[in-house]
Amino acid sequence: MTLKADWPVIGAPIDPDSQERLFFTEHEWETVEAATARIMPTDQDPGAREARVVVFLDRYLSGIDYVYAAADGSGFLKMSGRYADAWRARMADMQRTYREGLRNLDDQSVLEKGSLFKELSESDQDHMLEKISGAPKPGKVTLGTKEAVTTFLQGSFDEGLDFFPALCLHTRQGFYCDPVYGGNKDQMGWKFIGFPGPESLKDTMDGTYNTHEYFHEGEYDWEELIPHLKVSTWTESVSDD
Amino acid sequence: MSLRTKPEPVDAIVVGLGANGGTAAKVLSEAGLKTIGFDRGPWLRAHEHYSGDEMKFVNRDYMWPDPKMFPRTVRYDENSEAERFPFSPTPQMVGGGTNHWAGWVPRPRESDFMMRSLHGDIDGASLADWPFRYEHLEPYLTKVEWAFGVSGIAGADKYEPYRSKGYPSPPLRPTRYGKRFYDACNKLGINAFPIPHAMVTNRHNGRDPFNQTSFWNQYGDPSGARSNILTTFIPEALETGNFEVRAESFVREVKLGKNGKATGVIYIDAEGNEVEQDAKVVVLALGAIESARLMMMSKSSQFPDGLANGSGLLGKNATFHEYLFAVGLFDKDIDEPLNGWTGNYISGGSLEFYETDESRGHIGGSIISASQTCHPINWVFPGRPSWGDALKDADRNYFNYAMKIGLILHDLPVESNRVDLDPNVKDAFGLPVARITHRPHSNDIAMGKWQVDKNVEILEAAGARKTVPVYLDKMTGNTCHQHGTARMGTDPSKSVLNEWGQAHEVENLFVVDGSGFPTATGVNPTLTMMANAWRCSEYIADVYAKGREERLVLAK
Repeated sequence: MTLKADWPVIGAPIDPDSQERLFFTEHEWETVEAATARIMPTDQDPGAREARVVVFLDRYLSGIDYVYAAADGSGFLKMSGRYADAWRARMADMQRTYREGLRNLDDQSVLEKGSLFKELSESDQDHMLEKISGAPKPGKVTLGTKEAVTTFLQGSFDEGLDFFPALCLHTRQGFYCDPVYGGNKDQMGWKFIGFPGPESLKDTMDGTYNTHEYFHEGEYDWEELIPHLKVSTWTESVSDD
Repeated sequence: MSLRTKPEPVDAIVVGLGANGGTAAKVLSEAGLKTIGFDRGPWLRAHEHYSGDEMKFVNRDYMWPDPKMFPRTVRYDENSEAERFPFSPTPQMVGGGTNHWAGWVPRPRESDFMMRSLHGDIDGASLADWPFRYEHLEPYLTKVEWAFGVSGIAGADKYEPYRSKGYPSPPLRPTRYGKRFYDACNKLGINAFPIPHAMVTNRHNGRDPFNQTSFWNQYGDPSGARSNILTTFIPEALETGNFEVRAESFVREVKLGKNGKATGVIYIDAEGNEVEQDAKVVVLALGAIESARLMMMSKSSQFPDGLANGSGLLGKNATFHEYLFAVGLFDKDIDEPLNGWTGNYISGGSLEFYETDESRGHIGGSIISASQTCHPINWVFPGRPSWGDALKDADRNYFNYAMKIGLILHDLPVESNRVDLDPNVKDAFGLPVARITHRPHSNDIAMGKWQVDKNVEILEAAGARKTVPVYLDKMTGNTCHQHGTARMGTDPSKSVLNEWGQAHEVENLFVVDGSGFPTATGVNPTLTMMANAWRCSEYIADVYAKGREERLVLAK
């Protein structure tokens, strides 16, 4: 029984250009590539296809060897004990969710459009995604509005998600993750969004990666920002004893 | 599972080594008590295990509790079956939530200790005064600020009560969205200032705060910047030679002796052995949900409804705060970028709206703060299109052009809002999990609405061109703040603990986390909790362990 603090590092960063399939079949791989390309499409900027979201997903779903990168990004942590048991059980559920979800996407596509999902036109693919999501394709954000929502959770764990919400979440993850996880190839997701991320995870551990230039630049004066300081009467109290 | 030989008894056991257990461990061991600290979670090494990996820390629960191992359930009315939900998932590990917190550490206000005296009976709520006042806590607030490390500017908060000493560390340079917040507040006459922050920016206590990565809230910090129990009070306690950590050790019961005192605990060690550890004093600091759960699992003929629960109040009056906010979006073609991913989560904030003004239609009020909108995968835009061109445009246009102003909801205690043992769901050890039953009080809803709308006003003054207000619907525990499940008070029929966190009915059992808070306060509670844990632990070491007893009598 290895304590969590001592989980060994195994393997290496995932190669985004790998053609090897660890979880998906050939057909599933192509279907996932097509579907994720509708979730984060390619336009003048790269999308899920170029960022290799499919590689990210294939490795994640392959078991529990690609769940947590080593802190410095040199490989992955090998879990043990109850943690590994919990992840194995969770991964079995997620694998089933994907296998069944992809099969259902094809079944519905054949039923309605007469072809497998990956063979449909982009607009027909969008139509099928609307169908399995149970909602129309999201409309664009417009300024000059106020749109209220309720409740918000920190983090977004995927346990128990249905196929389509899982696919959307995993597409974001594969597009914007640290490249050690196999997606966000050449940091293309980060470049697209304007996030100057670290060269490597290791650079975030030793002070190499520094973001202060992206804070407020130039001079600042606390008394200007906090006018109350000019009239504040606070002084350190002098102890009597 | 085998029963291992019984280890030597010690002076004190501390269960849960987060903010409060870590404080207790430091104070007790420095006072010379032989102390063992238990934590169900791991004992990680910050410089070796922490880095800026969004997948690992934010999305895959490397530090958040695993919902399969330690599930919780929640229901929103008495008659529904509770469902599995990671309610208030404070990390369960050595250092607890201080491993990955943003680190807001504002001081409580004088009014927080006397809500009942100030407001009397509020329909549907169960307000109570604290058995001590701000003045009793002030010296300990100062001790924590200096020993743990807090950055801030003394005198900048116009409404702060008396403080005896300034801060050990100056604040960071403002972020761009922080600067916007100051400017907007100044336009509106709101007193904005850097919210006191559990981090240091200088070499206070020999720390090396080199981390300037902006990987902060929810991430571990490999440097000495963040004030983290794991890297401060735990090593200090170990240095005394009086303290031992037993990590990945799950305490499942506090044992009660024939004399009515706790004899120690039964725990399951990392190898799966069941072990009994005896001690003269047992100190609980698992957080208000898990401390109450452990006391409920510790049943005996004397206490069939849970340890020290003669009052029947154990688990009741639970308060959780809730993080509500509004996001503002700006126009990429016109406005300057705000770089919402930068900084150490909080930047400028205010307590302008904290005290009661009944013309608003509610009592109490909230602390507010401009804060990070975070990193690419999870950047905060509630209602973001979930797929397609609209998603791609939203990320491209607004990732660097968004700003958020949040608040901590000062929720009122309600007796039926509670923690108990779920009759159906078990954890990885086969033990019943904590079930939360909660319905917000109407004052909570009204306060949330009023303050979120005020935050929208500030965003608009800052130049936002679209706003997304997030109102209170139901409690999700998204702050990880937990209080009230074992109220402190002077009357044993109306409280579980006395003013020292000592159980009225079991004299060597102390609870030093938020369980004892009679009301939630409207500020982030960790500083208040740690100061109280320090105060109670000092009482244990200086008074109780010496066979004496003292009472704190408040002037009428």
